[in-house]
Amino acid sequence: MSEAVRIEDVSKKFRLYHERNQTLKSAIMRRRRSVHEDFWALQDVSFSVPQGSTFGLIGSNGSGKSTLLKCLAKIYWPDKGSIAYDGRMAALLEVGSGFHHELSGRENIYLNGSILGMSKKEIDRKFDEIIDFSGVEKFIDQPVKNYSSGMYVRLGFSVAISVQPDILIVDEVLAVGDAEFQEKCFAKFRDYREQGRTVVLVSHSMGSVRAMCDQVAWLNKGHIMQVGETASTIAAYEKSLDLGR
Amino acid sequence: MNYIKELLASRELLVNLTLREVKGKYRRTIFGQLWSLANPLAAMLVYTFVFSFIFQIRPDKGDPSGLNIFALWLLCGLLPWLFFSNVLSLGVSSLVSNAALIQKVYFSRVVLPLSQVAARAFTWLFEMGVLVVALAIVGSFVWPWLPLVLVVMLLLALFAAGVALALAVMNVYFRDTEHFLTIILQIWMYLTPIIYPISLVETQSHNVGGIFGTPITVLDLYSLNPMVHFVQVFRELLYDNRWPSGDAMLACVLWAIGSFTLGLIIFRRNEKGLAEAL
Repeated sequence: MSEAVRIEDVSKKFRLYHERNQTLKSAIMRRRRSVHEDFWALQDVSFSVPQGSTFGLIGSNGSGKSTLLKCLAKIYWPDKGSIAYDGRMAALLEVGSGFHHELSGRENIYLNGSILGMSKKEIDRKFDEIIDFSGVEKFIDQPVKNYSSGMYVRLGFSVAISVQPDILIVDEVLAVGDAEFQEKCFAKFRDYREQGRTVVLVSHSMGSVRAMCDQVAWLNKGHIMQVGETASTIAAYEKSLDLGR
Repeated sequence: MNYIKELLASRELLVNLTLREVKGKYRRTIFGQLWSLANPLAAMLVYTFVFSFIFQIRPDKGDPSGLNIFALWLLCGLLPWLFFSNVLSLGVSSLVSNAALIQKVYFSRVVLPLSQVAARAFTWLFEMGVLVVALAIVGSFVWPWLPLVLVVMLLLALFAAGVALALAVMNVYFRDTEHFLTIILQIWMYLTPIIYPISLVETQSHNVGGIFGTPITVLDLYSLNPMVHFVQVFRELLYDNRWPSGDAMLACVLWAIGSFTLGLIIFRRNEKGLAEAL
C-alpha cells in the first residue's frame, strides 16, 4: 500500500521565554531580544500514513499531538526532519476561522472556501451541497453573527469538508454539533475512506478512535510510543494511564 | 519564481479578502461607501481654512491648466498621501489582527497585508474619481492624462505595499511598531509638500545654501523622501495637466520597485515563523 504522508525524524522546538522583549525599548536596553530555554515538543517522530486509511493520533494533554498536527498542516515548520505528502492536503483545525461576522453565510462560504484553497468555480459547483450538509439554508443570507454557535460550526465544517482533499487533517472538531450532525460527519469520513482519501485525526475520545481508525500512533511527551493497529495501541495507551494512577 | 507562482495561485483569495474588507467596513451604515469621502473632505476643509485663508499660502497657478483653487490643488496631493498613510497604518497590524486565522489555516500569508492595500486602493480609486470629476467641472482638461495617473497610482500602491509588508512583519516581533508608525506618519506628512508648495522649500534651501559648507542643500535632503516625488507627479498630471518631469517619474518607478522587492523578501524570510511568533 502506498503512503499518503511520510513523516521522518520530525522535531519541533519551542522557546520558553523567561523574559521576552517584544518592545523595542527592552530590546535596546537589554541588548537582546529574549532569554529563553528550548523545549522540544516533538522529538524524532517518524511514521507514515498509508493511503486511504484513517489514522488516529492519541496521547495525553501536552504530548505533542496538536503540534504534530500543526506541522502536518504547514502552520508550524519542523526544526528538523521532513514531511512529505502525496496529494492535496487540507487541514481542519478550527471550524469557521476566517468567517467575517458582518457578512452573510453565502459570502462567508466563498471567503472561507478560498482561504481553504478552493477556486470560485469549485465553490459554485459545490455550493448547494455545502448548504445542504450544513442545514442552514433558511439563514444563508443572514450575517453569520446572528447564527447560533451550532449553526456557525456546522457551516464552517461543511465548507471545510467540501474541499475534498486527498489528505484531510482534523483536530478535535468532531466534538461540536449535535448527535445527528456528528453522525453525518462520521458518514462523511466513511465516504472519504471509500473514495481512497486519507484522514489523520486527533481525538481524546477512544470510542470514536476505535470506531473510525485503521491505525493509531500514540504520542507521549513528544516521543512516539507505539504505532500500529488501533486496538492494541489503544490498549497499551490505556494500560499506561492505569499504571500512572 | 516559485513564490510568484504561489502568489498567482492565491489571487482569488486576495480578491475575496479584499471584498471582505470593502464590504465589511461600511456594513450597516446609512451612507455606506460615501463615508470613505468624509475623511478627506474634512481634512480638505480644515487645511484650506488654515493654510489658504489664514496663512495665505498661494501655490502657483496650474500650468498650462490655469487652475487656481487651493482646495483642489491640495486634494491632488492629499488623496495620494491619505492612501499611503492608510495602507501603512492598516497594513502594519494586518498580521497581528488575523492571528487566529494564521494559527489555524495554512494559506499564503502575504495576502493579508496585500488585501489591505487592495481594499484601500479601491476606496482611493473612488476618491480620485470624484476629484477628477471636480477638476473637470472647473475646467481642467484632465482626461488625456488619466492613463498615466493610473500608472502612477499603481506605482504608489506598490511602494506602499512594500513598506506595509515589512512593517507588518516587524510588528509581529515588536508591537511598538504600530505606535511608532502613528508618530512617524505625522512627521512624514509635514515633510511632504502636501499642504504647502515645494517652491517654498526651494526658496529656503536657496537662502541657506550648502549645509555646513558642503554642497548638499536642504532640498537635496528633502528630496530623499519618496513621497515628494509622488506628490509632484500627481500634481503635474492632475492639476497642471502636463507631462511629469522625468526625474520625479524615474524616482517613483525606482522607489516602487525597490520597496516592493525588499518588502517581499523580508516577508518571505519571516513567513514561516509567524504562527509561533504571534
